[in-house]
Amino acid sequence: MTAATKRREEETKRQVERAIGRSGIDWTSVWFSGALVVLLLTTLSILLVLIADILMKAWPTFQERGITFVTDGLSLNPATAGVFTAIVGSVMIATIVAVISFPIGIAAAVWLEEYAPNNRFTQFVDTTVRNLAGVPSIVYGLLGLAIFVPLVRALGLGGSSDGKNVLAAGITMAVLVLPIVVITAAEAVRAVPYSIREAGFGVGATQWEVIRSHVVPSALPGILTGTVLTLARAIGETAPLLVIGVATGYFAPAGDATLADQITGPYTALPVVVFSWSRQTQAEFANTLAPAAIIVLLAVLFILNGAAIWLRNRTEKKW
Amino acid sequence: MANNIQTAHRATAVPMKLNEAGSIAVSGPKRVTGGTPDDSNRVILELDAVDVFYGDFHAVDSVTIPIREKEITALIGPSGCGKSSVLRSINRMNDLIDTARVEGSIRYHGVDLYGPTVDPVEVRRRIGMVFQKPNPFPKSIYENVSFGPKIAKYGGNMDDLVEESLRRAALWDEVKDKLEQSAYALSGGQQQRLCIARAIATSPDVVLMDEPASSLDPIATLRIEELMFDLKQQYTIVIVTHNMQQAARVSDRTAFFSVDVSGGQRTGHLVEFSKTTELFTNPRESQTEDYITGRFG
Amino acid sequence: MEPHDADLRHHYDSELEEIRASLVDLGTMALSNIRHAGIVFSENRPEEIETVRNADIPINAKYTELEARVFEILALQQPVASDLRFLVASTRILYELERSGDLAVNVVKALARLDGIPTDASIHSAVSQLAEASAAMFTRGIEAIATLDPEIGMGAELEDEATDHLTASLYKLVTLNQDELGLETAVALFRIGRYFERIADHGVNIAENVTFVVTAQFPGEG
Ligand SMILES: Nc1ncnc2c1ncn2[C@@H]1O[C@H](COP(=O)(O)OP(=O)(O)OP(=O)(O)O)[C@@H](O)[C@H]1O
Ligand SMILES: [Mg+2]
Repeated sequence: MTAATKRREEETKRQVERAIGRSGIDWTSVWFSGALVVLLLTTLSILLVLIADILMKAWPTFQERGITFVTDGLSLNPATAGVFTAIVGSVMIATIVAVISFPIGIAAAVWLEEYAPNNRFTQFVDTTVRNLAGVPSIVYGLLGLAIFVPLVRALGLGGSSDGKNVLAAGITMAVLVLPIVVITAAEAVRAVPYSIREAGFGVGATQWEVIRSHVVPSALPGILTGTVLTLARAIGETAPLLVIGVATGYFAPAGDATLADQITGPYTALPVVVFSWSRQTQAEFANTLAPAAIIVLLAVLFILNGAAIWLRNRTEKKW
Repeated sequence: MANNIQTAHRATAVPMKLNEAGSIAVSGPKRVTGGTPDDSNRVILELDAVDVFYGDFHAVDSVTIPIREKEITALIGPSGCGKSSVLRSINRMNDLIDTARVEGSIRYHGVDLYGPTVDPVEVRRRIGMVFQKPNPFPKSIYENVSFGPKIAKYGGNMDDLVEESLRRAALWDEVKDKLEQSAYALSGGQQQRLCIARAIATSPDVVLMDEPASSLDPIATLRIEELMFDLKQQYTIVIVTHNMQQAARVSDRTAFFSVDVSGGQRTGHLVEFSKTTELFTNPRESQTEDYITGRFG
Repeated sequence: MEPHDADLRHHYDSELEEIRASLVDLGTMALSNIRHAGIVFSENRPEEIETVRNADIPINAKYTELEARVFEILALQQPVASDLRFLVASTRILYELERSGDLAVNVVKALARLDGIPTDASIHSAVSQLAEASAAMFTRGIEAIATLDPEIGMGAELEDEATDHLTASLYKLVTLNQDELGLETAVALFRIGRYFERIADHGVNIAENVTFVVTAQFPGEG
């Protein structure tokens, strides 16, 4: 290699080094990512402060009562009052919501995505569903009061509560979450690649066979996650329950009632208990029992979300 | 002659394979080439003045192609000339597109596939399809193959059928120990062969393939070409390909499509349909010549 | 198409065109050596025998080079249709050209074995006429490549009859004068006649290959 060639190569190397080398710190991006971190921490810390505050207030209750706070029913005496009745109510409402809204919601989503012709009616239904998802929950409460409570009564399931029971509450909540179930399920169905459908039709499957064997199974993880999260919403809602006549005061402890009585009789739910206790004049209810009930409510929601994630992972692996 | 250069002798990697009767046949070096077909094979599919529309858009204009039994017919032409549209109209996959409309007639053993009493599902059981991108079901390898026969209420032994289909698709040896595993765990070339196994598991008469090797490496491509050549003994194959050499290597007859711009619409039409050896050594139309020799635009 | 591809194809086109021009060049080289061989005979210039032999060396070299290039293009461009016909015909034409060059050398080699060229005027003129007719037929082949005219190949067989007649009459003459010429000279003259006849045949083949390039059929086929 001649000296000239060598020099040229060295020069090229220097130029390339300069061209691809780091040219100092990119301050804009440092500033931006810093700002994002600060915002995130602020939000998180507000949440943490809130939870810490509630935990601190709830702490004495759990310390004194332990698990009995969860297993005791309603009581007028703050020393024996527990959330068991409320948990039972919430679980029953959630079950009814699941039984009603999931099949209907998933069926509606499949119909909208797979069968519905692309016409004005379908568009109308689609828009309506989206709008319904945004309607304030109190409106559903009024709907429940006007329709479902009388309906339950008319069906002879009014029981001792005269229709103001978990059945009416469950149906109302089911209708409340139905649009969300439809939207999330429809999105999951839409996310199934078209090629899978084509593959199904390509081997001579009917539309129903393609949907049953491929589209719904492929969409199932998405559908499940979405729908279980809507359950969490149903469990956390208070306003509609208040409107349709949930018991906000003391009623007969659930322990000595039959299942039928529990279903048709008066009921309460976790958020309602939080609501009513915090308005009690007795200081213990408001200051220590309500925060403790909040913790139980949060724990239930946490478990539900965990279940959603677990279900999704399981169904994703299963196929 | 000139086309000797086009044809190539290739030895297959698989020395032995199960033949139809179940006995072992030793296959020697095999020649992967369309060869020169005689005209003795029956015309099984007749595309007669077929037009394809998408809404108001006239995508394909008056295509007439006779497709003969146990031959490989290749459709070639520039992108957007309507090869896939024509292919998909053969097994009524176009029915799945709301706006798509097919005019003219496509006769299968003399029966108009677009007749009022024809069930598209039954059509697709007899005219199977392999798609451009491998699209296995998100299920196990076994279920991928067995799905078609299952819904067709196959009465025989499913395990045997799955094995036979996978063997014919030259995939059995690679997957026999992991039939319960996800089809997505296979490589692209294996997935495509799985899709071919799936397509032939229902024993169709005709297999349509839309660019089946376009995403594969030369080895996987070669295997699929060899496979097509094997399948030809039993099935009629129609293949869309952008690979001119592939069309030349595997097909017996080739249809060349082109696209004309008229009134702002790009409408595809058939330019030439000939024996492959003729089309690639001495095309009748100068448009074909320009395209296959790479002198376009 | 992107300009890059167009450039690639353009390059391919000009490569094919270069091959064709080179075939004409090679043909012209072979032709002038064939003519020269004829003149060496008719004008009795044994001292130029070596010149003719040497002139064949670059012809062979060019032949080898061109053949390699054709193979290269076949491998890299995977030609079809008229391109394929042209390249395959090119390898055949190359062979014909190279053989013709060799035959010119064979002519002078046959001369070299004789002690001087027979002076019989009738034989002399018969060989000269044959040499000219043969060169003329070969020229038609080169013309065909230069113009890509399929007509030349179609009429070539007929045109070549002239050479065949001249060869036949040369053989007749030599047979008649066999005794005066002596066996050795007679055999040499037979050989030379045969060489010129073959050169004309190569010219015919070349023209016919050009017809194949253009029409995808050899004259008289199909
Ligand atoms: N679903 C559809 N809706 C509307 N137009 C379509 C649809 N499918 C295809 N087309 C149009 O029809 C024409 C032909 O398309 P097609 O897919 O048949 O072409 P192709 O020859 O297969 O092209 P490629 O080689 O790129 O796959 C194109 O202009 C395309 O835009
Ligand atoms: Mg296509």
